[in-house]
Amino acid sequence: MEKTTVVVIGGGATGLGILRDLSMRGVKALLVEKNDLVNGASSRYHGLLHSGGRYAVKDQEAAKECIIENQIMRKIGKSCVEPCGGMFTRLDIDDPAYEELWVKGCADSGIEAKPITLDEAFRLEPRLSRKHVKSAYLVPDAAVDGFRMAWQLVDSSKRYGGRVKTYTEVIGVENVNGTLSGVKVRDQFTGEEYSIACDIAVNAAGGWAGFVGKLAGLEIGVQPDKGTLIAFNQRIVNHVVNRLHKSSDGDIFVPHGSITILGTSSMSIPDPEDTSTSRAEVESLLKIGEQTFEDLRDFRILRTFAGSRPLYIPPGGAVGRSASRGFAIVDHEQDGLKGFFTIVGGKFTTYRLMAEKMCNQICAKLGNTTPCRTADEPLVEEVPQADIDRARKFFPSYGVNLAATRLGVDRFKKVVERLESDPESRELVCECENVTRAEVEEICKDDTSFIVNDVRRRTRVGMGTCQGNFCALRAAAVFADMGVESTAKDSLTRMKEFLQGRWKGIRPVLLGRTLRETEMTRAIYELSMNVTGGAAQ
Amino acid sequence: MKPFDVIVVGSGLAGLMAAATALDCGQRVALLTYGSGSLPLASGAIDILGAQAPDVAIKSLPAHHPYKKIGLKALDAATKFFCEVTAQADLSYVGRLSAQIPIVTAVGTLKYSCLVPESMDASNLINKKKVYVVELKGLKDFYAAMLVDNLKKHFPDKIFNVAKLDLDFLGGRDITCMDAAQLITGNEQTLADGLKTLNATDEDAIIIPPILGLEGNTSRTEVKSQLRAQIIETTCLPPSPPGIRLQRAFIKYLQKSGVRIFESSKVVRGVVEGKKATGVVVENAVREKVFPARKIILATGGFYSGGITMREFDNPIEPVFDIPVFFPQGEDKWSNPQLFSDKPQGFAMTGIFTDENLRPIDEHGKALFDNVHVVGANLGGSDFIFERSAGGVAIASAYKSATV
Repeated sequence: MEKTTVVVIGGGATGLGILRDLSMRGVKALLVEKNDLVNGASSRYHGLLHSGGRYAVKDQEAAKECIIENQIMRKIGKSCVEPCGGMFTRLDIDDPAYEELWVKGCADSGIEAKPITLDEAFRLEPRLSRKHVKSAYLVPDAAVDGFRMAWQLVDSSKRYGGRVKTYTEVIGVENVNGTLSGVKVRDQFTGEEYSIACDIAVNAAGGWAGFVGKLAGLEIGVQPDKGTLIAFNQRIVNHVVNRLHKSSDGDIFVPHGSITILGTSSMSIPDPEDTSTSRAEVESLLKIGEQTFEDLRDFRILRTFAGSRPLYIPPGGAVGRSASRGFAIVDHEQDGLKGFFTIVGGKFTTYRLMAEKMCNQICAKLGNTTPCRTADEPLVEEVPQADIDRARKFFPSYGVNLAATRLGVDRFKKVVERLESDPESRELVCECENVTRAEVEEICKDDTSFIVNDVRRRTRVGMGTCQGNFCALRAAAVFADMGVESTAKDSLTRMKEFLQGRWKGIRPVLLGRTLRETEMTRAIYELSMNVTGGAAQ
Repeated sequence: MKPFDVIVVGSGLAGLMAAATALDCGQRVALLTYGSGSLPLASGAIDILGAQAPDVAIKSLPAHHPYKKIGLKALDAATKFFCEVTAQADLSYVGRLSAQIPIVTAVGTLKYSCLVPESMDASNLINKKKVYVVELKGLKDFYAAMLVDNLKKHFPDKIFNVAKLDLDFLGGRDITCMDAAQLITGNEQTLADGLKTLNATDEDAIIIPPILGLEGNTSRTEVKSQLRAQIIETTCLPPSPPGIRLQRAFIKYLQKSGVRIFESSKVVRGVVEGKKATGVVVENAVREKVFPARKIILATGGFYSGGITMREFDNPIEPVFDIPVFFPQGEDKWSNPQLFSDKPQGFAMTGIFTDENLRPIDEHGKALFDNVHVVGANLGGSDFIFERSAGGVAIASAYKSATV
């Protein structure tokens, strides 16, 4: 029987942070995730590394945690963080009294909020509404790539013996006389069910924490709260641009590479699996967004997406936007199940701190006194300049650093070697995101690559301007060539599923130039490839 | 400028066909183009309708369908004229309205179409003993393993052989089918020599990506004449050589016959007096200019080509003449939850309704203009991609509008 000391349930930032922390302290740990990694709120979010400015008035404890973790993250996750800086802007319709509260709140929380003139604001962000913006401040916000950080956490954990099993769903929590003995899991592809023996299990399932709790007969106060976001195909802003008002929908713009993410809404939902988005949500985000950027509708929308924040609801607590963004750790020994913990709530920016506190409790139980080092050691080593220089011969120059930070030292080296020795692996599978066949092949080989979407999240294949129009076929073909046969699905099904995944985010924003792109998708895959069968014979 | 008899706006299949037809009717024709047209995106085959016998199935289409307005007679004449034009430009098509011809796609499915480039006709594949699928070293977008996996489902008993040719002149890193077709032009012998090494017999077929040149039959004739096996081209990701060949064939025909082609000419609006259009306004890099005409054929395409635009939900616009655009209203009707399904997509039905002469109509069914005609993808009421009728509607509407 499979055996480990700690099973971490849930492959979001919190779970991965715990896996890394435990592994670094020498505790044997295995993370199980029912889907691919960061399938929940850890990737379906703004990608905003908070300065804490957002919480400076409402929740100063959270604000203080944010600014400290923000600085740690810049240090340990250098290649995941784009230090673009942030700007808070108050519009003419916003309450000036709130501005005063906010300035004071920032000062009290240790967040540097530097007032700038409107001229300076318009110089830094030329698209800001000259009509509406009345005051502006600079804060140390940043953009952070949740996918990249997740896989770097895995790489870091693996270096210390940590293990990850994706597409492995927990279906039971086993105990002997009130002491946890293991968890029962199901392989999502083969359907095989088996037990993993362990001393401790941590429920870090985010929005799904309630379901996992139920498996152990426990009631967990978690409310999935859906946030909808829009990704634009252009870099509309240079900084993270926040509205300086009481936190509300659609008031943050975050630049990521060549795109911008606008969000978000807040809606309590019963099912964390519900990542649907609607035209009404999109319209409402656009309406609010265009108060800050009047020409917002001129930009092409790539897609829309939604995720659910796992808001922690203490008995009798508030829900929705007024619910705390703080987190809670529950030791279920108090509920009669020794060795079972739940960690719930929080936010991406503070995942490391949450993991540290969780692991302190676990280690105390285990009698492990090794201190936490996750704030000091970088997630990954930097890719040597020599390898980057070698790669430049084969990459479009824009793509080299992207690939280096995506892949990390070892994989990048292997990819460069492939590129050098096999000219055919230099093919660009995805032109939009500059992904070579060598990179796709390298990721396909990983034991966590089952479907094309797994490769997409690792490499960014299909996430760019054309949303898979060209690379869906190519990625499916590489899978066929590599003989990746983890599922019974053939290349055609894989390709269709990949495009269907893209469609889900395109459908609610099907207007403007997005319509053109969709017509192209249909012309290629329905007409030229006849993936649907089409005409009778 | 002296008025043209006919101005055609747009150089997709519908625009090219309309210009050719008008010319054939003895008219003085101007073709205004902006961008590359949609043919480089197309498979090169002309889909008439997704049914076993399109000529019969057309009869049961709803009354608002463009085919019903155009009539079977015009469709039949259009297909004949299409084949004449392409043949004159040395590009061979095969097929007829009453049957479908199979084509092998780049992913190994079969596509069925009525008018098919001879180089893609896979009707005889069923009778072949062995099928060779040939990849080229350095060429992207053609993956034999996937193609064979899927094609086997249609021909489970056939022997498939995958071969890889190294045509060193391809070189490079990122060669598309269009690049390869260009590079093979003038280098046909190297390709033929490579294919000969397969030792395929006349009982076999060789499936290759569509790389046999970008002009007519030339490259194909040269390679084919040296091989015993039948050589069959597949479809591919854009830019698609068979689509480009078709585009070039028409342009060659038009240029030879004296159609004036004005490139980079973006038509920004029409000039209208009462119910009559007297011309269109063209905007180029430096100025606006009026092109006067007695008849205007609007072949500006649908959403893909910008013939219809939609900046806000539930508000599609035809930007040249501001013609009313039909569209399914509301989020639920606009699109299906599944990208590919057994239902047409609402947004794809967006377009203009016309009378029998392809003139746009108002809500009472009356023609809005005496001399403006709308053809091709900006026609409304049907999802031409779903029903596999895009090519047929393009050529037939173009033919009819130019002949009335």
